[in-house]
Amino acid sequence: MVLQVDGLNKSFGDKAVLKDVSFQLNTGEILAIIGPSGAGKTTILRCINGLEKSDKGTIKIDGAYLCRDHNNKITYATSEEMKFIRKRIGLVFQNYNLFPHMSVMENIIEAPINAFGIPKVEAEDKALELLNIMGLTDKRDSYPFELSGGQKQRVAIARACALNPKIMCLDEPTSALDPELREGIANIIEDLAKDNMGVLIITHDMAFAERVAHKIIFMEDGKIIKEDSKDDFFNNLKDERIKRFIT
Amino acid sequence: MFGYIYTLLPAMIDGLITTLKVFFITLILSIPLGILVSIGRLSKIKLISKTTELYIWVMRGTPLMLQIVFVFFGLPIIGITFDRFTAVLIAFILNYAAYFGEIFRGGMESIDKGQYEAAKVLGLTPYKTFIRIILPQMFKMVLPSIANEVITLVKDTSLVYIVGIGELLRAGKIASNRDVSLIPLAMVGIIYLLLTAIFTGIFNKTERRYSYYE
Amino acid sequence: MKKKNYFIMLLVILIFSIVSLTGCSNETASNKDSYDDLEEKGEIIMGLDDTFAPMGFRDDKGELVGFDVDLAKEVFERAGFEVKLQPIDWTMKETELNSGNIDVIWNGYSITEERKEKVAFTQAYLENRQIIVTLAGSSINTKTDLEGKKVAVQSESSALEAVNQEPEIVATFDGGEPVLFDTNHEAIMDLEAGRVDAVVGDEVLVRYYVKQKNPEDYKILEEDFGEEEYGIGLRKEDKKLLKLLNETLDEMREDGSYDKIYEKWFEGK
Repeated sequence: MVLQVDGLNKSFGDKAVLKDVSFQLNTGEILAIIGPSGAGKTTILRCINGLEKSDKGTIKIDGAYLCRDHNNKITYATSEEMKFIRKRIGLVFQNYNLFPHMSVMENIIEAPINAFGIPKVEAEDKALELLNIMGLTDKRDSYPFELSGGQKQRVAIARACALNPKIMCLDEPTSALDPELREGIANIIEDLAKDNMGVLIITHDMAFAERVAHKIIFMEDGKIIKEDSKDDFFNNLKDERIKRFIT
Repeated sequence: MFGYIYTLLPAMIDGLITTLKVFFITLILSIPLGILVSIGRLSKIKLISKTTELYIWVMRGTPLMLQIVFVFFGLPIIGITFDRFTAVLIAFILNYAAYFGEIFRGGMESIDKGQYEAAKVLGLTPYKTFIRIILPQMFKMVLPSIANEVITLVKDTSLVYIVGIGELLRAGKIASNRDVSLIPLAMVGIIYLLLTAIFTGIFNKTERRYSYYE
Repeated sequence: MKKKNYFIMLLVILIFSIVSLTGCSNETASNKDSYDDLEEKGEIIMGLDDTFAPMGFRDDKGELVGFDVDLAKEVFERAGFEVKLQPIDWTMKETELNSGNIDVIWNGYSITEERKEKVAFTQAYLENRQIIVTLAGSSINTKTDLEGKKVAVQSESSALEAVNQEPEIVATFDGGEPVLFDTNHEAIMDLEAGRVDAVVGDEVLVRYYVKQKNPEDYKILEEDFGEEEYGIGLRKEDKKLLKLLNETLDEMREDGSYDKIYEKWFEGK
């Protein structure tokens, strides 16, 4: 088990966005969290990546606690622990958030060199390897504005992979893609899982979830309504709310 | 006529040197200070952001001329005395840092929040994020506004006359009053035009250099 | 703006006013004669407007020259002081003097009642009239002809004070007040351009300008706005220095060295 979320709660003001959310992600597993917008999917992702602080609950990443409940009080990782955690989890934003003033290569090696002190040669070798996998070797010196949406996404994945994380998170990976590119990103995600990464996908694209996920979580109104393996989930759509969402 | 212009040159060059000294020292020191001002202005600590706001308000809300007079003639009353040139530089730097600070703040605020978040999840420290991600993007964005301020600064340097420092414009006025002629003032105008042309050129070049990305 | 900001604004204004008020009281309160300090330094700082030909200005080599500069050098040499010439902005002259940045104002500085309240004057060392100059073809021949005309004067100058001594005439000017310029030169340029009809200014200056241009283009009226005298301005408390300067000027008049300098600058006037 590479990610464990237990009893997670989060409110913005007096609006509860996450209500007692618990789930797990295993090595080599692809988990898709689906549900209507406003269900709290993105907030989960932001909590796991330390972009929001949860109010209550435990998040454990590859053995390290990002936050945990202790005597009814929540404690967060120290900056030293945070560094460990950052290295083990990668995030691909919905709009990729590439650094526009840096070339593709510079985008990928920025964090390894300037956050983790990895030698430049080593970081570049790794980056070239990733670009090769993504089929972007010829784009190493291009700038983000010169790339298509699909290419940008692959650069963002390469950037997130540069530190060999154990968990890869993708926020709405198909939202900005042409339909014909969906198969390509599905293959890449499957390759990541084969490399023993745990992959967490946030999406409202049911077809894509059905295509790649091993396990599905359906959320609505800050709560997990249903959690099941993909096959059981799609074969057994009794719940009214899920049916309404799918059709 | 050309002989006359030639005799004017030494005094003009002396004045020009003072003008350029004020210009470059102000520029070199007020830009980094302006970055600090913009950080202070955006600080989450109320005391810092409010103090910075007050400073910016005073500096932008009063004429530079008044600030020079205040630093040189006013501060000695409470026991702080500077020589003429230092007083002028302090007033110029404080004034321009406030303007630059507001320009930088605008630049920083216009940078997408996603850039900070991307840097954060990649493990960059706030300092590295600022230096490597935010600052370079901000500079590109604020370059046109900075160019405007720099041109204004070239011309503002003439304000140092209020504490009796001779600069380019004053050199022109002296020669003009002495020889009862407008030619020295015309020369001064041409020199100012040349200066602004040079700085405009430098900025255009810099903007082109930054245009490698969109 | 929020209430809190109003409060901060008031606070700042308050601080500014306190600083400036204490500033004023300080200036009048420090009444120590600085002669001993000056003697120890052996140096007098003389404030002058270096755009003020022919009294004090820069020649084409950038050296400060002029009638006042020559006279001052001679006076201070006799009194045993080095003289340091400090260019100042003319509008700030009394502030420069009272804040101690300069020790004397000496640059065609006319003795007036208003100025006597702020500084101490030596004896007069040069007579001067506030003359009226027009273009040669002008219909203006007397002060009463100035009615409805635009009259230019240097701001912050004794000419302005002299003109204002005759408010009944000022009231007849176009606009009911004189047009103000930074320098006499600018005033005369505007006269040439026909935007003003007459300029009132110090005789020595105006004659210098007219001579530099073409004297035949101008007309200097017989009437004037009063005679006055140039003196050296000192801090009121510097009584010792005042006495010394007066004695030295007397001495120079007696031995003829004053006349020599006068002739160098004003011969042929």
